[in-house]
Amino acid sequence: MAKILLLPFILLAFFLSFTVTAASEKSFLDVVKQSGDTFDTRAVVLVKVVTKETVLSKEEDQRGAFRVLARKRQIERYKCSSCHSGKAVTARRGLELSHGDIVLEHGSDGRGLSCIDCHHADERDYLEDKKGRKIDLDHSYQLCGQCHFRQKRDWLGGAHGKRLANWAGERVVYNCTTCHNPHSPRFEKRFPATYSVPLD
Amino acid sequence: MTADKEKKASRHNMMAKKSDRRAFLKGMSMAAAAGSAALTAGCIPSVEAASSEELQLRWQEFFKKNYRLMTQQEKDATVARLERLAKLRNDLDVQVGSYPPLENVLYGYAFNITRCEGFMECVTACVKENNLDRKTNTQYIRIFEMEPGQLDPSTGDGQYYHEVPVENAFYMGTQCFHCEKAPCTRACPTKATWKEPDGIVVVDYDWCIGCRYCQAACPYYGRRFNWGKPEIPAKELTTRQHYLGNRIRPVGKMEKCTFCIQRTRKGRLPACVEACPTGARVFGNLLDPESEIRYVLRHKKVFRMKEELGTQPKFWYFID
Repeated sequence: MAKILLLPFILLAFFLSFTVTAASEKSFLDVVKQSGDTFDTRAVVLVKVVTKETVLSKEEDQRGAFRVLARKRQIERYKCSSCHSGKAVTARRGLELSHGDIVLEHGSDGRGLSCIDCHHADERDYLEDKKGRKIDLDHSYQLCGQCHFRQKRDWLGGAHGKRLANWAGERVVYNCTTCHNPHSPRFEKRFPATYSVPLD
Repeated sequence: MTADKEKKASRHNMMAKKSDRRAFLKGMSMAAAAGSAALTAGCIPSVEAASSEELQLRWQEFFKKNYRLMTQQEKDATVARLERLAKLRNDLDVQVGSYPPLENVLYGYAFNITRCEGFMECVTACVKENNLDRKTNTQYIRIFEMEPGQLDPSTGDGQYYHEVPVENAFYMGTQCFHCEKAPCTRACPTKATWKEPDGIVVVDYDWCIGCRYCQAACPYYGRRFNWGKPEIPAKELTTRQHYLGNRIRPVGKMEKCTFCIQRTRKGRLPACVEACPTGARVFGNLLDPESEIRYVLRHKKVFRMKEELGTQPKFWYFID
């Protein structure tokens, strides 16, 4: 008899235990949110060492300064001032040196940009922003960011652009011009690298 | 030399140890190696076809434990056997690793559906890195061309081949999402697939029996089956491999994206992230508040696919 009286209580306890576990069911995101200690990514032993030339960024992300791929070495005829120096150029070399190969498709239709919107008018080895600051070609994000400030914010944080080679270790990121041609920054249409077959 | 040593050691063990079932079977099988070709037809070639060293290695491989039950010593031994077998069988010099997860690391992945333009360079990089079968065109990643207003890849076109990006379309990639509560691991009858402490869902290819229950259980079509022996051009083989990752799978096994375990456990980015020409792929440590992936989760509008299933994928989509 006593056992029969106990039965409802046992059942109740049984169901309660279920609801309690359901309510306290944890998501791994709780652990993620609580992970306060900063993980030392530089402690990870890397097998892939970045050998490309980089510069220390002039602006900071959440960790502080980071490294950006250098640009100047990539520019074939840098320094610009070696030609833009006021000295005479023979007509024969004029065509080669007049940047006729550059297609400028930057800025919205009808009011696209011109050379000196970004390039420094006098000191040709540098860029110049709208406030008149001289900007190094290795730090072009400072220039691009004056219009593309959303992209720059995301780039600093890590939601735009990409890291080079490693997720761990010192942060090395692509600069704006690694991916975008500054003169026509939109990616060109092309065929995909491969195709997919139907799943089995 | 080492094979000889191993042989001696295994004999010694057999004498010294109390005979359990496994040891007994191993002994039996060694003794019966020559006469058991009929019994093992299918798994082991005829005795004439293989050298005695290869046969011995195969026997030892056949009776090894599940990866999770192995000591580091046993892992090293099986890895050494696999490397030697690859050399003997196919004359390939591979380095198979069995390195453990990094501490305080939980991998997370984010995919920017605004940025992806469908160039599919991630797919080719993945195929090459993970030694996927070229004959059947196995791919871990699928990119879907989606109409605006849709977010379910099953409505998209996964087999496009034309100039991209197309006006008024966006691209959405899928792969294994490495769910925290992965239904595939629960479906496996041989416990050949599980979630590692760093969040990567892996397969022990040698314990997989190829029943494909996990494939049926996965709501994201993240798993692939080896219908045949993978065919990979020798020049394109990725020789740095991991036991749970891109080592060449035997026929009839299940495989899937492992976040390039052979790379990520050494601090490198997965091959797809490294190859992406548009920077649509973000990868990092979820337990590091200053990582890129945490920045995306904090500052971007993110969602996960089929979140209502409660599988808790560690793969987010986000928009700019």
